[in-house]
Amino acid sequence: MSIRHGLLALLSRGPRHGYQLRVEFEASTGATWPLNVGQVYTTLARMERDGLVEPGETDDQGRVVYAMTDAGRAEMERWFTTPVVPSDRPRDELVIKLAMAVEAKEVEVAEVIRRQRTATMRTLQQLTRAKRDSAEGAARLLVLDSMIFQAEAEQRWLDHCEAVLKEAR
Amino acid sequence: MTVLALAGVTRVHGDGETAVHALKGVSLQVGEGELVAVMGPSGSGKSTLLNLAGGLDRPTSGAVHVDGRDLATVRDLAALRRRSVGYVFQDLNLITSLTAAENVMLPRELDGVRSRRARAEAMAVLTEIGAESLADRFPDELSGGQRQRVAIARALVGERRLLLADEPTGALDTPTGDEILRLLAARCAAGASVLLVTHEPRYAAWADRVVFLRDGVIADATDVPMASAR
Ligand SMILES: Nc1ncnc2c1ncn2[C@@H]1O[C@H](COP(=O)(O)OP(=O)(O)OP(=O)(O)O)[C@@H](O)[C@H]1O
Ligand SMILES: [Mg+2]
Repeated sequence: MSIRHGLLALLSRGPRHGYQLRVEFEASTGATWPLNVGQVYTTLARMERDGLVEPGETDDQGRVVYAMTDAGRAEMERWFTTPVVPSDRPRDELVIKLAMAVEAKEVEVAEVIRRQRTATMRTLQQLTRAKRDSAEGAARLLVLDSMIFQAEAEQRWLDHCEAVLKEAR
Repeated sequence: MTVLALAGVTRVHGDGETAVHALKGVSLQVGEGELVAVMGPSGSGKSTLLNLAGGLDRPTSGAVHVDGRDLATVRDLAALRRRSVGYVFQDLNLITSLTAAENVMLPRELDGVRSRRARAEAMAVLTEIGAESLADRFPDELSGGQRQRVAIARALVGERRLLLADEPTGALDTPTGDEILRLLAARCAAGASVLLVTHEPRYAAWADRVVFLRDGVIADATDVPMASAR
């Protein structure tokens, strides 16, 4: 995805200026994708060039309000109707580290797993606390849930590694 | 204040060749208002630990204190269990000839609380966990997840200071499981102490402290939070 798709989704609720888009973008995605207002304005300029948005009136503070065009709406629909494919994922350092720990000499794999499991659990506790204390909207909570599921998957994988390596010994 | 304390607890099932060392010297404290989760693979001794903490089983060596009382010296363990300790069993143990509400009322009635008041208390806690509409159904008329909620209600009813829960989220989907944990955390905030056994990281993460059990010993734990964290 690109920032432009996110902005189109927000503009589908009605015309907005750049600063407002930035605030709403961060409110729904949380700390996962911080944007600066400059990025928002450069993206809007490119979207205008591509006919996805059009500038409208200027508000009393001199900010241009953008609206989504028909082409913009079509692009947003295309985005939402196309499933995401896990293409070239970034290499996961933990996976590589554990694989190498298994291969390496003089490394106590069980110890690497134990340390990581406790660290991952601390992360999971922090995310859960953020979720428990969060009074914000549904989108933000679902983003937190996604991070919780990911940390949980890592934890399960570590348990699995431990059990499998124990069997193999 | 420490509500539950295990000191150097061991538990050996059977003897001789076939002896199983389920716990090999476990020390653990749960403070007032604290939620502690125990994680560990199958057979690592989680249920054994919980049974000892609730006075349902006795340690081979070591001591268990609940509210400062050494369980080895408590005469009426059953009364202590009804009044101070709520227990959610791994296999739930609901009584099939009683309705959901009657199951929840039972520990209170056994404790001499009048039927009417016991029913009111049962309904209050069933409502708290969103199961009030199930009150008059029998266990075999409930789904697995609904049974689970009723078992949790039975453990919460009354003024229990210590709640012991063995996989209380077993048959629940994740939003419902999260709800149960939210509820347990709220109980802790109100001063109760909870010892929770789970193999699911997402639920363990609600705890103030997570203890990892491996082959009958505590292998690791996340830090004790600072007292001011509450
Ligand atoms: N009454 C018993 N007699 C003999 N052995 C027992 C008894 N109860 C438990 N054990 C053994 O003690 C060990 C720990 O059992 P426990 O039930 O505490 O495990 P657990 O961590 O709760 O496992 P699970 O996740 O499968 O519930 C196991 O090896 C088990 O077979
Ligand atoms: Mg068990």
